[in-house]
Amino acid sequence: MAYAYLFKYIIIGDTGVGKSCLLLQFTDKRFQPVHDLTIGVEFGARMITIDGKQIKLQIWDTAGQEAFRSITRSYYRGAAGALLVYDITRRDTFNHLTTWLEDARQHSNSNMVIMLIGNKSDLESRREVKKEEGEAFAREHGLVFMETSAKTAANVEEAFINTAKEIYEKIQEGVFDINNEANGIKIGPQHSAAGGAAAGGAGAGGAAGGGCC
Amino acid sequence: MFRSRSWFGAAWGRPKNPHSLERLKYLHNILCKNTTVSESNRGTLVESLRCIAEILIWGDQNDSSVFDFFLEKNMLSYFLRIMRQKCGGSSYVCVQLLQTLNILFENIRNETSLYYLLSNNHVNSIIVHKFDFSDEEVMAYYISFLKTLSLKLNNHTIHFFYNEHTKDFPLYTEAIKFFNHNESMVRIAVRTLTLNVYRVQDASMLRFIRDRTAAPYFSNLVWFIGKHILELDACVRNDADHQSQQKLDDLVAEHLDHLHYINDILCLNIPDLNDVLTEHLLHKLLVPLYIYSLTSDPAKRPVTSSPYNRDHIQSIEAITRNLEAILKGKNAEVSPTRMTFARQQRLDSEDEVKPSVSCVVALFLLSQVFLIITHGPIVHALAWIIIQSDLSVFEDGATKILEMYISNAKSNVKLEFSKPQLSLEKALESTSGHERDYTTPEYGGPKTFGSEDTDQSSCDLDPELVSTSLPSTSHISESSSIAHDSTEDLVTQMHSIKSDITVKENMPDSPLPDSGIESSSSKAEFNNITDEEKQKLLAVSSQASTEKMSLESIIEKEIKEIEKRPFLKTILDSLDCSENDYKALFALCLLFALINNKGVNTELLDTLLCPETEGSTVSNVPSSTSQSDATSSDSKEGTPTPTHSRKSMHSFNALLISKLIAIAHLSCKPASKVRLVTLELSVTLVRIAMQGATGVAGARHIVSADNLRGRAAALARNFYKCDDIFLDMFEDEYCEMSKRPLNVEWLCMDAAILLPPTRTPMSGIAFAKRLPSGEMERARRAIRTFFLIRDLYLKLTGKPETQLPLTNPAPFVQVGDILDLNDSDLISCDIIQKDGTCHHRFLAVDNIQIILVEPDKQKLGWGVAKLVGSLQDLEIQGDKEDPRCLHLTIHKPRVGASGALPRTVLLRAKFKFDDHIRSMAAKQRLTKGRTKSRQKKMQQIGRLLEVSGMAAPALAPRHRPLFTRPAGLTAIRRSTGADGDDTERRLRRPSAHMLKDGIVVYRERTTSRESSISRSSSTHGLREGSPRSRSEEIPLEDIRRNAASSSSTPTVSIPQSQPSTSSALQKPSAISSEETSFISGEPRPKRKGLVETI
Repeated sequence: MAYAYLFKYIIIGDTGVGKSCLLLQFTDKRFQPVHDLTIGVEFGARMITIDGKQIKLQIWDTAGQEAFRSITRSYYRGAAGALLVYDITRRDTFNHLTTWLEDARQHSNSNMVIMLIGNKSDLESRREVKKEEGEAFAREHGLVFMETSAKTAANVEEAFINTAKEIYEKIQEGVFDINNEANGIKIGPQHSAAGGAAAGGAGAGGAAGGGCC
Repeated sequence: MFRSRSWFGAAWGRPKNPHSLERLKYLHNILCKNTTVSESNRGTLVESLRCIAEILIWGDQNDSSVFDFFLEKNMLSYFLRIMRQKCGGSSYVCVQLLQTLNILFENIRNETSLYYLLSNNHVNSIIVHKFDFSDEEVMAYYISFLKTLSLKLNNHTIHFFYNEHTKDFPLYTEAIKFFNHNESMVRIAVRTLTLNVYRVQDASMLRFIRDRTAAPYFSNLVWFIGKHILELDACVRNDADHQSQQKLDDLVAEHLDHLHYINDILCLNIPDLNDVLTEHLLHKLLVPLYIYSLTSDPAKRPVTSSPYNRDHIQSIEAITRNLEAILKGKNAEVSPTRMTFARQQRLDSEDEVKPSVSCVVALFLLSQVFLIITHGPIVHALAWIIIQSDLSVFEDGATKILEMYISNAKSNVKLEFSKPQLSLEKALESTSGHERDYTTPEYGGPKTFGSEDTDQSSCDLDPELVSTSLPSTSHISESSSIAHDSTEDLVTQMHSIKSDITVKENMPDSPLPDSGIESSSSKAEFNNITDEEKQKLLAVSSQASTEKMSLESIIEKEIKEIEKRPFLKTILDSLDCSENDYKALFALCLLFALINNKGVNTELLDTLLCPETEGSTVSNVPSSTSQSDATSSDSKEGTPTPTHSRKSMHSFNALLISKLIAIAHLSCKPASKVRLVTLELSVTLVRIAMQGATGVAGARHIVSADNLRGRAAALARNFYKCDDIFLDMFEDEYCEMSKRPLNVEWLCMDAAILLPPTRTPMSGIAFAKRLPSGEMERARRAIRTFFLIRDLYLKLTGKPETQLPLTNPAPFVQVGDILDLNDSDLISCDIIQKDGTCHHRFLAVDNIQIILVEPDKQKLGWGVAKLVGSLQDLEIQGDKEDPRCLHLTIHKPRVGASGALPRTVLLRAKFKFDDHIRSMAAKQRLTKGRTKSRQKKMQQIGRLLEVSGMAAPALAPRHRPLFTRPAGLTAIRRSTGADGDDTERRLRRPSAHMLKDGIVVYRERTTSRESSISRSSSTHGLREGSPRSRSEEIPLEDIRRNAASSSSTPTVSIPQSQPSTSSALQKPSAISSEETSFISGEPRPKRKGLVETI
C-alpha cells in the first residue's frame, strides 16, 4: 500500500502492563472488550493520515526478548518512536520507568520520540499511580504523556498518532535523516521513486528535510 | 479498504454473540464456501480470519469446545489452502492470516491447545510456504510469526518443529535465510529466533544445528560482519571531513550489534556451537581481517624501524594467499589430483587484493571485541596472538598459530576472510535433503594429505560425528599437515625468506609483488619450525636479560625484543602521539580492553603488566593460573602457553610505561595534540602498568608521576587568573570529571572518534574527545589535565585526596537545620517568586552560604533553614523600579563529587526588603560574601597549582599570598584564619548551630509581641543555646543601643562610617560590620512605627 513515510515504533515497559494489548487495540480496533478477554500481539501495522499524508506505522513489541542484550539494543536503535508503558494500577511498573528510559536513551538514536503511557486507565478504583505523577515524570524527562486504556480504547489512537505527529514534525524540521533507514523511518516506495521529479507537494517536505541534514 | 467493514455474511443469520461456538461454526461455513480467494470475497475472508482468532482466544480462556471444533474441522488446512492461492490481493489475505496465527500462538495459554495446534504439521507447512517476501508487510508479519513461534519453544514443543528423523527444522532454517535481510527489524527478529532456538538446549536439535547449519550460518554471518567492516573502513578512509558521521555511527552500532549477538550466543554456553563459532570467527574474521590489518597497512607501515618489518608482512601475505589458494583449489575440485592442478592454476592467476582495513579501524575493532566478548577460547587466543606471536608466525604460516590455540584443534576452516563458497540458502538446501554427507562449504573433497596432525583434532569429537556427519573433520588441518609433510630445516626456510626479501626490495612499494608468489609457492613457506627450534631461538635472545639493568637498558632491550613481536609492536608504536593521538587512542582502548577482559589469562597479561624480574618469578609457578581457570580448562588444553611461552617470557612493561608517560608528558605541553580522553585512558593504564601484579608502584614510578604532576600544575598555572571564570571552570571541570569517570565501552560506541581528531566544537564531538578550540577550552583542558595527573599521583602514592573538591560539604548548613541565630545578622525580607507566591524569610550569610531562615517555633532566637545556596554563585541585581528590591538567583551549593549538578538554580526571585537602605545593606553583604568566598577558593587553587610568584612563596600554604588586600572592613571582621576556625568549631553541631559574625537581628516585620519577647529573652537564649558560653558577647540590646548611637551619624556613605563603628566595638566576635551597624541604626524609628500601627 502506498505511503509517504513508514515509522517504526517499539513498545517498552514491564511485562503485564498491556503493551501487546495496546498494540492490537491500535492496529485492530475491533477486538472489543467483552468477556474480559485479554488479547495482544507482538507486531502490527496500520496506516494513518497526518497533514494529508499517508503514514504507515509499524509497531514492534519487544516482550520476552529482554534476556538478550544484543536484541534489545538493536530494537531501540531501529525505531523512530517508542511507547514507554506502565500500569497505573501497579506502582512498581512506574518505578521501573527510569531504568527503561535510561536503556532507551543509551541505545536509541537521540531523535527517537518517546511517549509515556499510563495504561489501564479504566481501572480507576485500583489506581496506584496518580495521573499527576505520570505528568511530572514526563515533564522531568521531556516526554509526552498520556493515560490510556487498551480495554476501552480510550486515548489509544491518540497515543500512537501524537507520537507520529511529533516524528513527522521532526522530519519537517530536518532533525531526522530520513534517508537513513537505521533511524526507523522509511520513505514510501512511490515517494522515493518519484524523487524530486513528480512528487510535488507531497515530496517537498521530505526533500526539504533531507536537504538540511 | 483493508479494514473495510463490508460484511455480507449478516444475511446468513450470523449468531449474535461474537464469542461462541456457534459463531465459529458460522465462520467455518464461510471458509468452506469461499475456498478460492477473489476480489469479491477477500474482505469477507479477512474479516472471518480476524474473528476466528478472537473466538479461539476467547475459547482458550473460556470454552474448550471452541478449540475442539477448530481442530476437528482441521481449520488450519483452510488457512494453508488460502495461502497457496496466487491471485490478486492474496498478500492482503495472507497478512491477515499471518496475523491471526500470531494472535493465536501468542495468546494461547492452554498447553494442550497449543500442542494440538502444532501437532498436525500444518504450522511447518505454513513456515516453509514461499510467501511473497518482496512485500514488506508480508515479510514483517511472516518474520513476526516465526519469532512468536520461537518464543513458544521449549523442551516439549521443540519436537513439533524439529523432526529428528527427517533432520528437518524449518522454523530455524527458514528464518536464518533472512539473517542479512535489508530490513533491520527482520534481522533482529531472526537473531532473536536463533537465540530462542539455541537456548532450548535439546541435544538432538543442537546436534542438527551444529552439523547441518552451524558452519554455513556462522560462515555467512562472519562473512557479512566482515563485509560490513570493510564498508566501515571505507567510510573512515573517505571521510576526513566528518561528513558522514551519521552513517559511521550506524555502521559502528551495527558492528556492535553483531558482536553482542555473537556474545549472546557464546554466553548460552553450548560447547559444540561455541566451538564452531569460535573457529569461524578466529579463522575467517578476527585473525585474517582484524589482526593482520594491524600490520598490513602499507601507507602507515614504518619502513626503517625494523629490518624484518616489511618482509614479514610480505611473507604473511604470501603465506595466507597460498593457503587460500590451496583451500580454494581443493574446494573447487573433488579429486586430489585435480586439486593439485587447481591449486597451481589458482596460484598463477592470483592477483586479487587481500581485504584489509586500516590500522586505526583494526585497533578500534579489536578493542570492541575485547570489550564485549569474554568467551575464553576466542579472547585468549586473540590476546596470545597479539602479545606473544613473534616473527615465527610469519614463517610458520598463520594456521599454525591458530591451530595451537583453537580448542580441540578442529580448525576445519581456512584462515582467511573470504566469502563462503555457498550462499546460506544453498547450503541449507543441501541440508534439507536427507543425505548425510553434508559438509561445510569449504570442504567438498575427501582428505588427501597425511593426517598425523588430525588425530589430535578428531579425538575430541563424537566418534559418530567424525565418521558420518562430519567427514570434513579429517580436512581440518590440511594446511598444517602440508606444512608438516614438507618440513625442511630452518636454514632452508630462512634462506627462502631471504630470497623473498631481496625480491621485494626491488619493488618496495608493491604490497603484493608477483615475485613473492613464486617463492611463497615453494614448500619452504609452509615449513614449521619445530618447537625445540623455536625455543632455541628464543633462548638465545633472552640470555642477556637475566642480570639487572638500568631503566634505559631495560627499555632498550625491550625495544629490541619487540621487533620480534609484530602485532604488539604495532600497538605500542601507535602510542606515539608526537603528530597526533588518532591511533594512540585506539591502541589505548585495545590495551585497556585486553587487560580488563576476564577471558584473557592473567599470566599472558604479565607480559605487559609486570616488569621482567617479576615475570620470571611468575613463570616459576606454573599452576597459578591453570587452577584459577579450571572452568575453562577444556579450552586451554590445546594451548601451548604453559610450556612454551613461559620459557620465552619477555616483559614489555618498562617500554609500555615509558610510552604512556610520554603521552602524559605531551599532554602537559601548551600546544599538545593529545585529547583529554587519550590522556585519561593512558593515565588509567599507566597506573595499572606501574602497579603491576603487586598493586604497589615502585619508587621510580612515583618519582616520574610526581614529575608529571609538576608539569601539569605548571600548565594549569598559565591560566590561573583571578577572574571569576577561572574558578567556575575549575570547579565545573572537577565536577564533570568526578561525575563521569571514563567508560571505555561507551567511548568505543562513539563513532566520532574513528574520524581524525578535530578541533572545532561545531563537529558536535564532546570536548574530551577533541582538541581544545580557543583560549577558554585550552584553559579547561589544562585544568582537566592537572586533575587527571594529580589523581594518578595520589593513587600511586596511596595518599587520600584532601584538597579537592574545593568546598568541603561537611560543614554545610542543610535545609531543615535548626540554627542558633541569636546575635546573627539577619535581614527580613519578602521573597516574591515569578508565579506570584510570596514568603517571608530572614536572610543570613555565613562564609560560603546564603541561608534563608524561618523562625523556629520552639526555640526563640533560633531559625530553621529553608533554603541554602552557595554565596559563590549568587547573582545579585538591583531592581530598576523599586529600590527596596533585589533580584537574586540562588544556586545549589557545589558539592563536588557527590554528583549534584553544578549551577542548579534553587531560587530565582525578587527579594523585597523593608526599605532601600536594608536592600542596599543586603546587596552589599551578599556581594562581599560572594567575593570573599571566591577569593578564598582562588587561594586554594593557588596552593594546589603551586602558584608562588604572586606573594611571599614561603608563606604560601598558611597565609594568603594571592589574596588582594581585603578592604579594611573585611579584614577586621574576619581577621585572618581565626574567624574561620571559630566558625568551624561552632558548626560542629550539625542540626543546631549558631551563625557567626552576623549580629543584629531585625524584627521590624515581626509583631511587637514577638520582638519584645525576643529582646527580653535574647540574652538567655544565647547563653543556653550557644555551645560555649560567651559572656563577653554583647547582648542584642546592647548592640541595638550601640548601633542606634552610631546611627546618629546621619551619613549614608557606608565606607566612611565603618572604621568608626568597628573601632567602637572591641570584641571581635561582636564587631558589627559597617553595613549592619548602619542598618541597625535605621530600624528604630521604623520599628516603632510598625509597633504603633499594629
